[in-house]
Amino acid sequence: MPTRREFLAQLGVTTAAVGGAAAGIGVSGIAQAQEKPKGTIPDKPFRIGHMTFFTGAGAVLGEPMYKGNLLAAEEINAQGGLLGKRKIEILKADEAAGTDANTKEMRRLRLSEKVDMFMGITSSGNTPALGPIAEELKLLTIFIDGCTDFLFDKAVPNPRYIFRSTNIQSADGSTCALGVAMTWPEIKTYAHIHPDYAYGRNCYDHFTVVTKKMLPKAKSVSEAWPKLFSTDFTPHITKTLAAKPDLLVTSLWGGDYVAFYKQALQHGLFGKMKVATTLGLGSVPQAIGKDHPEGVLSGVHANYHFTYPAGNRWPLNKNFVEKYKAKFDEYPNFQAEGAYTATHVLKTAVEKANRLTGGWPDDDAIIGQLEGMMYAGPGGYVYIRPDNHQGYKDAITGFSKNVPEYPFPILDPNRIITIPIRNVTAPPGWPKGEPTSTYTWIDQTWPQMKA
Amino acid sequence: MTTVPLTTFQKRSPLRVVVWAVPLALLLVVLPWAVDPYQTILVAYGLVMAIAVLGFNLLLGYTGLLSFGHSAYFGVGAYAVAFMVKYFHVESMELFLVGAVVASTLVTVLFGYACVRYTRIFFSILTLALSQVLWSLAYKFYGVTGGSDGLRVPTPKLLGIVNPVGEDKIRFLTHGYYYYVLVVFTLCVAVMWLVVHSPFGMALQSIRDNETRAQFIGLRIRAYRLVAFLVSGVFTGIAGALWVPLNGLTTPDILYWPFSGEIVFMAVLGGFRNFTGPIVGAVVFNWLKTYAVGATVYWQALLGFVLVVLVMVLPTGIVGSIKLLWARARGRAFR
Amino acid sequence: MDILVVHLFNALLYASVLFLIAGGLSLIYGVMRIVNLAHGNLFALGAFATAWAIGQLFAGSDSAWLFLLLPTGAILAALLGAVLEPTLLRPFYRRPEEYQLLVTFGLLMILEDLIRFVFGAYPRSASVLFEKAGSLHVGEYVYPRYNLMVIAIGGLAALFLWAFIYRTKFGVVLRATSQDMRRASALGVNVNLVYVQAFTIGCFMAGLAGSIIVPGQSAVLGMGVDALVLSFIVVVIGGLGSLEGALVGALIVGIIREIGISVFPEIELAVLYLIAAGVLFVRPAGLFGRAA
Repeated sequence: MPTRREFLAQLGVTTAAVGGAAAGIGVSGIAQAQEKPKGTIPDKPFRIGHMTFFTGAGAVLGEPMYKGNLLAAEEINAQGGLLGKRKIEILKADEAAGTDANTKEMRRLRLSEKVDMFMGITSSGNTPALGPIAEELKLLTIFIDGCTDFLFDKAVPNPRYIFRSTNIQSADGSTCALGVAMTWPEIKTYAHIHPDYAYGRNCYDHFTVVTKKMLPKAKSVSEAWPKLFSTDFTPHITKTLAAKPDLLVTSLWGGDYVAFYKQALQHGLFGKMKVATTLGLGSVPQAIGKDHPEGVLSGVHANYHFTYPAGNRWPLNKNFVEKYKAKFDEYPNFQAEGAYTATHVLKTAVEKANRLTGGWPDDDAIIGQLEGMMYAGPGGYVYIRPDNHQGYKDAITGFSKNVPEYPFPILDPNRIITIPIRNVTAPPGWPKGEPTSTYTWIDQTWPQMKA
Repeated sequence: MTTVPLTTFQKRSPLRVVVWAVPLALLLVVLPWAVDPYQTILVAYGLVMAIAVLGFNLLLGYTGLLSFGHSAYFGVGAYAVAFMVKYFHVESMELFLVGAVVASTLVTVLFGYACVRYTRIFFSILTLALSQVLWSLAYKFYGVTGGSDGLRVPTPKLLGIVNPVGEDKIRFLTHGYYYYVLVVFTLCVAVMWLVVHSPFGMALQSIRDNETRAQFIGLRIRAYRLVAFLVSGVFTGIAGALWVPLNGLTTPDILYWPFSGEIVFMAVLGGFRNFTGPIVGAVVFNWLKTYAVGATVYWQALLGFVLVVLVMVLPTGIVGSIKLLWARARGRAFR
Repeated sequence: MDILVVHLFNALLYASVLFLIAGGLSLIYGVMRIVNLAHGNLFALGAFATAWAIGQLFAGSDSAWLFLLLPTGAILAALLGAVLEPTLLRPFYRRPEEYQLLVTFGLLMILEDLIRFVFGAYPRSASVLFEKAGSLHVGEYVYPRYNLMVIAIGGLAALFLWAFIYRTKFGVVLRATSQDMRRASALGVNVNLVYVQAFTIGCFMAGLAGSIIVPGQSAVLGMGVDALVLSFIVVVIGGLGSLEGALVGALIVGIIREIGISVFPEIELAVLYLIAAGVLFVRPAGLFGRAA
């Protein structure tokens, strides 16, 4: 039976002092000398249907996703387009129209507008709806978010045309819990505040199952489930304070998190307990003010924060952030990075397929190249597992810190925690389970730490 | 409430209906071969919604009760199908329809019993509140309903004929399923036609026009309203059941009150003073919303603007306005 | 014991805001017999306008000046109301009330996108005032002073409204018009003027609710729709058309919500709708309403 520290090391949970990405894995897709494409390529534009939240409270995540896609498309078009010939055109669609309207819109994009590809989706309610539709439309799709495990666990267990580029939802709760186990193993009691919908439940479930394994003495003393997109968290804060926990774990994000932390500050919550979040700093980096307390375990959807990997150690990120900031006057979040990477992943797949077959590769050839691809993007290496078409990269989380360079808190560069996602989510071959495969895998295969 | 008696349908001879109904029916039958698959699927959606709005309008146009909570019955039908798949592994579309009818009957009777005691604004608000209760339950009990993720419904068997796995789902939707919907739609239209032309339908209208007088001639107002509510809800429940296989998924969205608002919109768009108004309204709104969503990020403002203009300028809706124009044109021709 | 005081403050905070919104809705209905489905969006507009004024336009200014800017949203909402009533609503008074519901529903949709168009997609906050007000101690707990200010403003508004309606000549005219419009008109009251004034006041209340709550929370797209449903619940419980009903209803909703979150966290979403439905079953006109 390993000790907690040994097990964390086995999982690959490391605190990296400055962008220590795992080295030495064979990588494809890093910028290579532009080879001329083989065969004749049509110069018809390549049309991508991009659906995300442009209105409504979800727009805080949706707009950056579109911007990432746009930035990548412009870079590719500056070189003539895909394979130097096909320029990318993006057709926008508003995800806020509702699942029913989104289904019709996807069909319209494919059958009427004849888009070549589909990208986007923020809400976890929409990927399980649209995944099967994309499959039936034979529409090559890369979902950028809508990270629910439900998509590949139940809705489309054997995907052919659909892929997802950002980390799977179960990673959030697990990453947060592992971060807590590593940093504050002494806690005895903790409290929950989660938005009352699938993401909140998922974080709750996975945080609980991992904490049960890693910190068997710790127990939950309070739960609160505010409605998603609430603005008043005072009762939930009061309830949490009354329970006097050692730690608060919360998956509030976006505007919810901003309202929450400001209210919590005035209630003195941060002084009374440790706080761990799954998406605190991840949705809109610049919306968090410098009044945000330091030392909060701040999740970024287990995906990406623009300060990591940092500086010259990982030029891909530095370039991406600079270009994004110059064009949009804001810093990219994980959605932006996900969309940007996904677009370049597509480009790489197309190029590789072309080198093998010549001419414009058909969807099967592109799919063949996407499966199993390992791509180096701004956020690090991302691997697309061939069986479930899910993207895996290192999960990261860290601690909020105020630095002079930025007018908002960032992740403390000296205390970044990275975890290879493949080590904390269900592996290939593991049977699908409830509530998620990862949950049953952790529950059944991880060792139970002693106190 | 001002009365605009539905005189037109009473005086219409069967022959006049045939003039426009037959070509339309023919068009609907050959549609999959005449237009592209996307338009066909869109019409399928439109026909499904037409059944829902037809049911809704029994309450609004014929009984004078504006329900702002019809999303509840639509959702009950849809979730009934999803539960049948989840718990009983049912695959037959016919059983789905039966299940939806049973479920929506139960819920409609329960809700209707409470609602028909009131009229006008209180009726509307109560229907809205009750539909929100259902919405919050569907959202909350995620173990049963899948919460915001929803529940999946695979391709059903139509009349016992299995759609082989892997066969082109688009073709299934545009051919097999489209005709299935068309048949059910025709049946529903026929049933509703009979209902509103029956003595029961007449009684509803007299209650709508003058409640006190209707009471004085011996009509039991609440009983009639309750039955109307029941028929209305069941129609909408059937629509919900038909709708689910088109998307393959049901989510709490369809129980949320703005969806009820859309149903009202559809009835007003087509013209709620006419029998065919709801049908036209549903098909046109469906097309309109899809077009708006595809055209602009501000699709909501576009739809809102259409609604406001509609209510100001064309209160009788599309069908009502066409009838007015037609009557005016004929009037001029005879001068 | 201290925790109960904190819980009470939370409930009063929520109730204050709800009272202003629902009170506005009820006032408009009481006088004009219109249910304004777009009412929630006036609340949202108030919130966004104030957040923009404090958080963006005059950001960095002296906090005393910023406090004065608080009513920005309320004034804007009132102006919008004054414009909307004669243009959009007046044509519908003689028409069946279904049409009124529909035109206000259309207005709701337009305002949603208008807010997004003008103020952008990201949430807005004016938290500088919230922070400047600081916190005070309630026993072992710390409580934001700003929340208490909101409660005070809510209470003052209730008092002011009561005085306005029951102690001024304008209030008499308002009540007369709401009780019997035709007779009031026959007695020489300019009904059109009363209507636009009542509507403006109602919108002002909604806008004020948004304005005062936004420093402590934030302005988020979609908040209008949420607020509308909540204010519906309040007027259902309290009675449509009654200001006392709006006050009592708001208090009941605030307290039950607070209890619900503390004791039955799972039920937060459903309990309010259930209560509203329950009241409607038993007493459809609400506690203080008249079944018009």
